[in-house]
Amino acid sequence: METNLDTIHIFKTNIGDQDPNCPVRQKLNAHSAIQQWSIDCDDVDCVLRVVSETLMPETIIDMITEFGHECQELD
Amino acid sequence: MRVRDVDKEKLVIATAIDQIVEEGFQGFSMNKLAKACSISVGTLYIYYKDKDDLIQKIGAIIALKFFTGTIKNFSPKMTFEEGLWKQWENRADFTMKYPKEVAFFEIVKHSPHGEAILDSIKEFSDFRQIMKEFIENGLRNKEIVPLTFEVFWSIAYGPLYTLLNLHTEGKSMGGKPFSLTKEMMQEAFKATIKALKP
Repeated sequence: METNLDTIHIFKTNIGDQDPNCPVRQKLNAHSAIQQWSIDCDDVDCVLRVVSETLMPETIIDMITEFGHECQELD
Repeated sequence: MRVRDVDKEKLVIATAIDQIVEEGFQGFSMNKLAKACSISVGTLYIYYKDKDDLIQKIGAIIALKFFTGTIKNFSPKMTFEEGLWKQWENRADFTMKYPKEVAFFEIVKHSPHGEAILDSIKEFSDFRQIMKEFIENGLRNKEIVPLTFEVFWSIAYGPLYTLLNLHTEGKSMGGKPFSLTKEMMQEAFKATIKALKP
């Protein structure tokens, strides 16, 4: 089934760390309300893409900044 | 509510193909692509996870179009000569109609993306099965000599692709202007069949 585009959230971050076990990645992996996520570390904006039917962008931003990273929604 | 914009998606795909054919993977970036399409980077990421995801998705679209085009009006039950000629016609039509897509696929094919793309297309195994059946029929009916698969392939399609490359470049040896005609294709095809016949 095709993903509902409204459930995809895009953020500009500074998560340059590619370690698959870094705390922010562990948090995203473990979150039950996140269906899918990815970080494009090749991009200057280290774009974070989160698919979640319930989470609001603000909640995701709080989740990332809690680990000391910058996170801003990309329009 | 976000709505899928088919025209925008088409523009993104066409522009990505242009940029990758002109500059290769190294020079290509999601930012550059978004700018060239006058869309925001965020919009681009709605559709694609990253550069690799985009390359693989576009590659899969082209590969599927190619397989569908190749087996148009073709049946593995055709005589070997008739079937191979249909293959030649279909492959030549596709290359002439979509030169940029073919150039893009050539770049992708030899990269680590190649296998991932073919694995993502379920129709690819059908295509392989059809072509396998066609060759097996040719062998069973003694229309072709048994050869190592790669040797068979290079003889069966090598002459066509060499001519198509010259056609795409528009020139042959020594820079002489070149355009492939049906007559030349038939000439090459006759020689190919002669080489494959027992």
